[in-house]
Amino acid sequence: MSLADTNVFKPGFALAFRFARRELRGGLKGFRVFLACLTLGVAAIAAVGSVSTALVEGLSQEGQTILGGDVDFRLVHREAGADELAFISDGATISKSTEMRAMAAALRTDERTLVELKGVDDLYPLYGEVRLGSDLALDEALSFDGTRYGAAVEPALLDRLGAVVGDILKVGSLEVELRAVIEREPDRVAGGFALGPRLFLSDEAMLETDLIRLGSLVNYHYRARLPEGQRLNADVAAWVATVTDAFPQAGWRIQDRSDSAPGVRRFVERVALFLTLVGLTALVVGGVGVGNAVNSYLDQKRDVIATFKCIGAPGGFIFNVYLIQVMVLALLGVAIGLAVGGTLPFLVQWVIEDMLPIPARFALYPAPLLLAAAYGVLAAFAFALWPLARAREIPATGLFRDIVAPARAWPRPQYIALMGGALVALGGLAIGLADRPDFAAWFIVGAALSFAGLRGTALLLMALARRAPRVRNAELRLALSNLHRPGAATASVVLSLGLGLTLLVTISLIDGNLAEQIGGELPERAPSFFFVDIGPDQVDGFESLVRGTEGVHDLNRVPMLRGRIVSVKGVAAEDIAAPADVAWMLQGDRGITYAAKLPGGSELVQGTWWAADYQGPSLISITEEMAQGFGIALGDEIAVNVLGRTITATVSNTRNVDWGNVGINFIFVFTPSALSGAPHTHLATLAMEEAGEIALQRSVSKTWPNITIVRVKEALEAVNKLLQDFALAVRATSVVTLTSGIVVLAGAMAAGHRRRVYDAVVLKVLGATRGKILKAYIYEYALLGFGTAIVAAFAGTVSAWLVVTQVMQAPWSFLPMTLAVTIVGATIVTLALGLVGTWTALSAKAAPVLRAQ
Amino acid sequence: MSPSTSHSLPQSASQSAGKPIIHLEDLKLTLPSAAGDVNILRGLSLDVHAGEAVGLVGPSGSGKSTLLMVLAGLEQPTSGTVLIADRDFTTMSEDGLALFRRDHVGIVFQSFHLVPTMTALENVAVPMELAGRADAFERAAEELRHVGLGHRLTHYPGQLSGGEQQRVALARAVAGDPKILFADEPTGNLDGATGEQIIELMFDLHDRRGTTLVLITHDHELAEMCDRVVRLKDGLIDGVHAGTRIGRKAVAR
Repeated sequence: MSLADTNVFKPGFALAFRFARRELRGGLKGFRVFLACLTLGVAAIAAVGSVSTALVEGLSQEGQTILGGDVDFRLVHREAGADELAFISDGATISKSTEMRAMAAALRTDERTLVELKGVDDLYPLYGEVRLGSDLALDEALSFDGTRYGAAVEPALLDRLGAVVGDILKVGSLEVELRAVIEREPDRVAGGFALGPRLFLSDEAMLETDLIRLGSLVNYHYRARLPEGQRLNADVAAWVATVTDAFPQAGWRIQDRSDSAPGVRRFVERVALFLTLVGLTALVVGGVGVGNAVNSYLDQKRDVIATFKCIGAPGGFIFNVYLIQVMVLALLGVAIGLAVGGTLPFLVQWVIEDMLPIPARFALYPAPLLLAAAYGVLAAFAFALWPLARAREIPATGLFRDIVAPARAWPRPQYIALMGGALVALGGLAIGLADRPDFAAWFIVGAALSFAGLRGTALLLMALARRAPRVRNAELRLALSNLHRPGAATASVVLSLGLGLTLLVTISLIDGNLAEQIGGELPERAPSFFFVDIGPDQVDGFESLVRGTEGVHDLNRVPMLRGRIVSVKGVAAEDIAAPADVAWMLQGDRGITYAAKLPGGSELVQGTWWAADYQGPSLISITEEMAQGFGIALGDEIAVNVLGRTITATVSNTRNVDWGNVGINFIFVFTPSALSGAPHTHLATLAMEEAGEIALQRSVSKTWPNITIVRVKEALEAVNKLLQDFALAVRATSVVTLTSGIVVLAGAMAAGHRRRVYDAVVLKVLGATRGKILKAYIYEYALLGFGTAIVAAFAGTVSAWLVVTQVMQAPWSFLPMTLAVTIVGATIVTLALGLVGTWTALSAKAAPVLRAQ
Repeated sequence: MSPSTSHSLPQSASQSAGKPIIHLEDLKLTLPSAAGDVNILRGLSLDVHAGEAVGLVGPSGSGKSTLLMVLAGLEQPTSGTVLIADRDFTTMSEDGLALFRRDHVGIVFQSFHLVPTMTALENVAVPMELAGRADAFERAAEELRHVGLGHRLTHYPGQLSGGEQQRVALARAVAGDPKILFADEPTGNLDGATGEQIIELMFDLHDRRGTTLVLITHDHELAEMCDRVVRLKDGLIDGVHAGTRIGRKAVAR
C-alpha cells in the first residue's frame, strides 16, 4: 500500500465481537453487582408476569367452569319470562339459580350471620363440580328427606354460627338441615365480592324461605350450556347476539365464557401492572449499579482502550467492542433473572395453590418472560451507554502522559440520543402494555422526577461539601472531603438509596392511609349496620324495635329500588359513548331511591330541590359527577327501568355526594310521587355502641328473618383482608427494589474500598485511631443518609398523596410517624450495611498497603 | 540559528532527495491546565526523510513525548503544519487518523501497552485484524518468530518477562509493514542487556525494511546510533547533529 492512500476496510461488528470475546476471557470480576442488579429486577418482573399470566390463563381456560356455563344471563328482581326462557332453552341446556344475601341462624347455638344464599336446580353445575367434605353428591345434600331440606355451607359459616354438620339452620322462615361442608364451588369467583359465607339450597327450598318478595334484592342466573361443537368463542358470541336481538329490552346482564370474571381479571391485571412497575423501579435502581459497574470496568481498561486507539482502532469500533461485552453480560444477567423468575411461580404454586380462589395454570409462559427480558436488556443498554460513550472518548495520549486534559464530560450527541431512545422505549413498553396507561405514565413520570431530584441532591451535597467552610473537627473535615472528592460514591449512594426509600415511603404512606380509613377514621362516622330488604309492612315494627334499643342513634331509613338506565337525553344506553370513569353507571342495576328532602351527606350544586309535597311530573336528582360525565344539563331527560316499568324523569338538580361517609346515598334520587307506587323495600342504617351490636342483630333477625343485616365491622374486615393481601404483595415486590438499592450501594462502597483502605492506612500512620476514622465514616454516611432521606421523604409523600387523592379518590391524612419510622429505619439499616463494609478497611494492616503503593 | 528555522541538515546525500515524509512547520501546542495555559511546543519546524532514523533527546518536559503524539496523530497542534506523507494531519478526523495509523504507523511504548487479555499472537495480530487482513495470524506468528518468540505465541503478557513483552510490542508495531515507526523510550523499563536486544531488533528492522524511525530516548548513546540527533528544550529545537550511524552506514557501503 502506498503511503498516500489508506485502506478502505473498516473494522466491523464481527471483528468487534472477536475482540470482545478475548477481553471477556479475563473473567467476570467486578460484574457481580452488575449481574445481581439485572437478575433481581428481571426476576421480579418475570415472576409477577408469570404468576399473573397463570391466573389470567386459568380464568380464560376455565371460563365456562368459573362462569358456570358458556353464557350467564343475570336478571335482578325478576325471573325470565316464558318467552325469554323458551328462546334461550332452544338448543341450549339452561340451569337456573337464585342468589341473594340473607341471614342464617343456627337453632342450637342461637347465632346468626349474613350468608350469600344460592338456590340451585338439579342441573347445577353445568361445568365443573361442587366438592363437598363428605361422600354426598350436591343434590343429595340439598334434597328433601321427608322432614327437611338439606343445606351445604362454606366452612366459615360453621365458625360464625358455632354449628356442626347435622345442626338445624333457619334461613328466612325455613328450617333446613346442615348436611355438608363445601370444599370447592366451581363458579365462586364469578359471584364477585362476598360479604358472608356461601349457603346452598335447592331451588324448591329457596321458594319456601319466604325471602323472595316483590322488590327484594334477588339475582336470577340462567346459565346456558351450548351443544358440543358450538362452544368456540365466536359461536358463543353469535348465539348471544341472536338472544340480544330477540330481547333488546330484557335488561339482563350477559356474560360469556371468554371473559368469565372480568372484575377478577381486571383486578389481577391491575395488581400485576402495579407490581411490574415496582419491579421496573428495581431495574432502574439496578441501572445505577449497572452504570457504576460498567464505569469502573472501563476505568480499568483505560490503557487498553488508549492502546487500541494508538494502533489504529476507530472510536466507534472501540465502543462496539465494549458494548458487546456489556450486552453479553447483560444477557447472562437477564437469563439468570428469567430462570429465577420463571421458576418462582412453580414454587408459589406448590405453596399456595390451595389458597388461591381462582384456578391458575402454572406453566412457562414465553410472553411475560420475553417482556421481562426486554425490560432487562433495555435497562442495561440505557444505563451502560453513558460510560461506554465516554470510554470512546478516552484519549490515546493517556499512554504518554499521566495527567491529560480531561476527556470530554458529555458523550457525543448521537449516544445521548441513543440513551434517550432506550429510556423512552423502556417507558413506552411499560405504558403501552398497561391496561391503565395513564397510571403507568404517572408512575414513570414520578420515578423520573425522583431520579432527577436525587441526582440534583447528590450534586448539591457535593457542591455544599466542597464549599463548606473549613471545619476544625478533623473527622468532619475528612467526611466532607470524602463526599466531594473525585470518584466519590455520593451520586450512586444518593440515587440507589433514595429511589428505594422513595418507593418505600410511598407504599408505607398509601398503606397507612388505607389502614387509617378502614381502622381509624370510619367508625366514628360510619353506621354499625345496614339493614336491607325491610318490607313496607315491617317498617313500623322495625323502627320501634330499633328505637327502643339502648345506645342506638342516627337511625336513617330510605326506600330502595333497583333501576337500570334506559336512555339519557333520548339516546339509548347501549349507544352512549361514556368516559371510562362514569361508564360503570350504565352497566347493570343501580340502587335508586326517592326523597322529599335533600338527603344528608349531599349538597346541591345546580338547580333547586323540589317541594316536599311535590306532585307534578317525575323529577330526578343526579350526582354532579354523572352530569359532567354524560354532559347532562338541568332539564334533560333520563329514562330508568324499574321492575320492568320505564320511568322518564327530568333532571331537576345535581348534587355532590360524600361517598366516604358510608351512609346511604344514591346516584339517582326521584321525586316521591314518581316511585312510591312501585313495590319496594327499605334500606336502613344506624349507629350504636359495639357492645350491643350482636344482641340487636339477633333480635332483628329473629323477628324478621327476611331482613338482611350487614354488620359494617365484619364487612370492613372482609375488605381489609383483601387490601392486606394486596399490600403484602406490593411490599414483597418493593423489598426487591430495596434489595437492589442495597446491592448498588454495596457495589458503590466496594468500588471506593481500595481508596478507603489506603486513606485509613495513611491516617493510621499519621496517628489517627480506628475510632477516629470510624467516626469520620459515620459522619460521612450520616450526611449522605440525611440528605437522601429528606428528598425521599418529600418525593415519597408527594407520590403517596397523588395516589391516595387522585387515583383512589380518598381523603388524605399525613402520617408523620409512619414517615419518620420508615425513613429513619430504612436509612439506618442501609447505612449500617455500608459501615460494616468499611470496617474491613479500618482493619487493614499498614505495611503491605504502603509497600504496594 | 533561530529556533523556528527548519532543521533538515545535516543529511546524507541519498536522503536529501525528494520530499520529506514528515514535514513540521512552526508547530505550536498549548494545553490548558488549572494553573493557566502551558506552552508545550513553541513553534517547532522539522523535516524527516523516508528511511531516516532520527533520535529525539532532551530533558523531561522539553516536549519530546508531545511531539511524538502530534507526529502519530494522537494530539492536534494548536497551530502550525503537520504533513505526514503529504497528508495534512490538522485537517483529518479522529477516525481518519486512526485508520492512517493502522495502515502506515507503528508505535513502541516505554510501558509496552499490550492488551492483558490477549495472547502474544493476538496482540501482534490486532492492527492487521483491524485492517481486515486475512493473513493476520500467519503474519503475526512470523513476526513473533522473527523477534525470537516463536515458542511464546499463546502466552499472555502476564506470563512474559519485560523484555519479551517489549519484543511482542515491537512485533506488533512492525507487523503491518508501517512506513514510519515511532518509539517512545522503548528501553526505559528494561535492564541494560535486554534493552540492547530490543535496540538491535529495532534497528535491524529499520535497516531491512527501510522504515523511517523516530526514537525518543534519554539515552545519549542510543540516540547517537541514529542518522540524526535532534535535541529539544522548552518546546523548541535546541540543536541538531549527525549521529554515528551515518558513518557506520558509509563504512558498510
